[in-house]
Amino acid sequence: MPATDNQGSFLNRISIRRNQVVSMDGNHEQELEDLELFQKHVADRFADLLSQSEDTLGDGLLSISWLRKLLDVFLCCEAEYKAILLLGRDPSQISKPPLDKLVPEFHDRVVKALDVCNAVSHAVETVRNYQKLAEIAVAALEQRPIGDGQVRRAKKALNSLMILLEEKEGSNHKWTERAWSFGRRSTNATTSSGKDRATSASQFRSLSWSMSRGWSAAKQIQAMSSNLVAPRGGESSSPALPVYIMSTITVFVMWALVAAIPCQERNGLLTHFPVSKQLGWAQSIIALQEKIAEEWKKKKEKNRLAGLLEETQRIERLGLSLIEFADSFQFPPDADRLDEVAVHVAELGETCKKMEKGLVPLQQQIREVFHRIVRSRTEVLDLLDQGGKVTASTM
Amino acid sequence: MADFSSVLSPREGDIHVIAAARHIVKALGANKNLDDDLRKILSQLDSHLSAMTVLTTESRGTGFREVEEQLKYAEEKIRGWESNQSLLWDSDEFDPLEAAEFLKAIDEIQALIGGLRSLSVNGNGKQKELLNRADSNLQMAMSRLEKEIIHILVKHKQYFQPKNMSFRSCVLDVFYDESFVSVEDITSEEALQRNSSGKESDEYIFDLVHPQVIPHLKSIANVMFGVNYDQEFCQAFVSVRRDALEEYLVILKVEKFSIEDVLKMEWSSLNYEIQKWVRAMNIIIRYLASEKQLCDQILGDYGFVNPLCFVEISKGSLAHLLNFGEAIAMGTHEPEKLFRILDMYEVVADNLLDIDALFSEEAGTAVRLEFHELLRSLGDSGRATFLKLGNAIAANASTRPFLGGGIHPLTKYVMNYIKTLTMYCNTLNVLLKDQEAADPNPVVGPENGHGVSSITHCQMACHFRSITATLESNLDSKSKLYKDGVLQHIFLMNNFHYMVRKVKSGELRLFFGDEWIKEHIVKYKQQAMSYERATWNSVLSFLKDGDSPGLCSASKAIKGFTIAFEEVYKNQTGWSIPDPELREDLQISASQKVIHAYRSFMGRKSSSISEKYIRHSPDDLQNYILDLFNGSPRILQSSCKK
Repeated sequence: MPATDNQGSFLNRISIRRNQVVSMDGNHEQELEDLELFQKHVADRFADLLSQSEDTLGDGLLSISWLRKLLDVFLCCEAEYKAILLLGRDPSQISKPPLDKLVPEFHDRVVKALDVCNAVSHAVETVRNYQKLAEIAVAALEQRPIGDGQVRRAKKALNSLMILLEEKEGSNHKWTERAWSFGRRSTNATTSSGKDRATSASQFRSLSWSMSRGWSAAKQIQAMSSNLVAPRGGESSSPALPVYIMSTITVFVMWALVAAIPCQERNGLLTHFPVSKQLGWAQSIIALQEKIAEEWKKKKEKNRLAGLLEETQRIERLGLSLIEFADSFQFPPDADRLDEVAVHVAELGETCKKMEKGLVPLQQQIREVFHRIVRSRTEVLDLLDQGGKVTASTM
Repeated sequence: MADFSSVLSPREGDIHVIAAARHIVKALGANKNLDDDLRKILSQLDSHLSAMTVLTTESRGTGFREVEEQLKYAEEKIRGWESNQSLLWDSDEFDPLEAAEFLKAIDEIQALIGGLRSLSVNGNGKQKELLNRADSNLQMAMSRLEKEIIHILVKHKQYFQPKNMSFRSCVLDVFYDESFVSVEDITSEEALQRNSSGKESDEYIFDLVHPQVIPHLKSIANVMFGVNYDQEFCQAFVSVRRDALEEYLVILKVEKFSIEDVLKMEWSSLNYEIQKWVRAMNIIIRYLASEKQLCDQILGDYGFVNPLCFVEISKGSLAHLLNFGEAIAMGTHEPEKLFRILDMYEVVADNLLDIDALFSEEAGTAVRLEFHELLRSLGDSGRATFLKLGNAIAANASTRPFLGGGIHPLTKYVMNYIKTLTMYCNTLNVLLKDQEAADPNPVVGPENGHGVSSITHCQMACHFRSITATLESNLDSKSKLYKDGVLQHIFLMNNFHYMVRKVKSGELRLFFGDEWIKEHIVKYKQQAMSYERATWNSVLSFLKDGDSPGLCSASKAIKGFTIAFEEVYKNQTGWSIPDPELREDLQISASQKVIHAYRSFMGRKSSSISEKYIRHSPDDLQNYILDLFNGSPRILQSSCKK
């Protein structure tokens, strides 16, 4: 976790510099310069993400590797933001306008982001379930000679996978209930076909234990973006701007994660949140936002839970074609058809490997983002606390 | 067997030898301690042997007929069960022979498949067709076994019953009040409960699945892993066990909250949730030890698959517990939260070694690190909350004097608070030590007390003394609010006395040390003396022997004395000294002084005082003095008289 390693020394640097520059007058110029640099870095980093999003070899927009890069960008921007917000700033400034309003608003947003991180991190487990089912299919179809047994094995796994992928928004609970009733009913040891279906569904259903009831990722994103207003006039260069930039980045990153990974209640997820087009640093964010929104709209027509994660979509596409193959399979198999299928199987295998390699680190990175956000929030609150103490004791 | 072999043809004999060899190979394979290479060799050997069977039978001129016969036999078994809806391992009708035969049929098919596969792939159509059939049957059997595992696991699930873990302390705390008002002393019951809530010393493993079915699960695992259906087995196993754990959290009444929920929650509900969390943490870690055992029993032979499955079973539920902990650590640092935060810190700290052991393998690294991180967050939060207590005390300003000069709620709060904190002594010392390391101006002074208990010089003791010093200076400012200077003394005396009494009464004595106690006894006694001087000296000054003897002046003196006394009575009956002993001491001392002076004055001057000026007898006065400091203002009847 390189970003964490850096953090300690980085924070030390901040605190050292903070102590050195107790209210210097030439500070303002420095601040403007830092702010300029921050905007440039944000612009560059997201431009990078935008260019990677064009990748057609599977590491493009909303792929695991792209998301991991996105989180890296978040961590970098966050560190820089914190430096700008706290560096050389008299803590009491945070409790004065405009920061007295903006910082608490930012913290509200950030707390919501933490919940989104948790929901997404939890949902990565569901994606791992997709992976495991796909792996079974790959294992079965890689065998030679291929026969009814292998094909049926693959089909069984793929069907379970499709049930998972096709789970509609809000149907999560139904699976859970069925799973529960299965648990209870099974003591009578009745075996009906309905129960069989529930069994396989409960076995592979997305995990139920996530957020509190009624919690909705879509609503959180909505709430995070609702009071996001670009600073105007005299405020546009003041500390209001970095807060706005970081807020926008936070909302964007959380939104992209929710769009990619199937977490609790995404009904009515925004496809657009306002970012002023005139802002130089925001151009790539806006472009990415439009691209993701486009994908989301396409996907939404199918009203599926699965999410836009590139690997998930690939699994779905390949899975469907392999199910088709399985449905029409007859022993002995046609050699040409087998070659064709082998290509798909290999691609599915590749995708699974990518997931195997990337999902756990992605989950850890989400956790890292979580801890970073918590720490930064605590740091600012502690600073405010100390500021409060200073003013209290002088009174 | 030997008898039979004599009548068999040599070829048939060969077949038996091969069968025996396979048997030996199988027996060797059942050994748990084989390494992977050896296992591989055995499995290759097995398929070679099985190929030999096929070849031997083939070369006998029967072609694949015998193979087909065998396949047919096994196929019938499997298909027979497939059409039968009831489950093989259903305990009501469980027939071990039948189950064994089913597994044997799979075994046979596996052997056939091995044999058929090892023949050249370009073999004839018959071979391919048989292989297809065998694979197909194998798949059917596996699908069947998958169902069976789920059924067995669900049906024979046993609910974890921890020892000595009754749901304690669901009652809300008595010693907290937001505004430092109405603080009751903490009950000793709470202290007892705290001790009993601790970690169980001995390992306690519970069978989460009935032990009777463990061999069944194991034999199914063996078969499924043997034919590379390990993924299906793990999926089924993990999903049922994961659900069981989630369900258990529901049983433990652990609710799901988002961080936002937790940060917005009222303290009383939060307090309750935290207590449930602490209990759940203790139990879940025990539970996981049992879960680990189950995994070991069933998956122990399969290397890294075992810890991987264990982590997948527990990860989701633990993430939930972890997040609640993080959310609490993120909260604001009100003093009332301290005990609960320390409870949380302690339960994590107490269980950390177990957690490290449970998740020692690579698959568990993330979980392990998360708990260490949580411990750090809770520690930081606990320390910050503790250090904030001083600020909170300093900031507790009053605008009006506290009625009657009794013990201020702040004093009670602070003293009961730190008294309760002594139960967390070790934990707090650890936390404060961490901080000292980073703090250039430590509160702890150099160790100087020879022969003084080491507790007196621990971090916490120093903090305690600094907290009470803050309290004293706050009380000092509060005392300034009294217009009546004499009441200031009563107020300070009461509060200092309360502090001393609390410190002397228990554990705190060790933290504060005799030195502190002596100092503070002196402090309240000084206040008592100042009170006496300020009150009674002026009253008694009337009875001083003046230079002008005579009726007039003596009567005047008595009159003055009476008025002054009645004034004191009127004021000081409304004041309060809650401690009966202290009150009595003050009354006795006043009595002695007043009655003595009064009597001697009367003795000397009785002749020169007109009866009408003498309103109270010495006995009356004595009784009146007993009315002082009871907190209910009274007026002497006599003063109403003309």
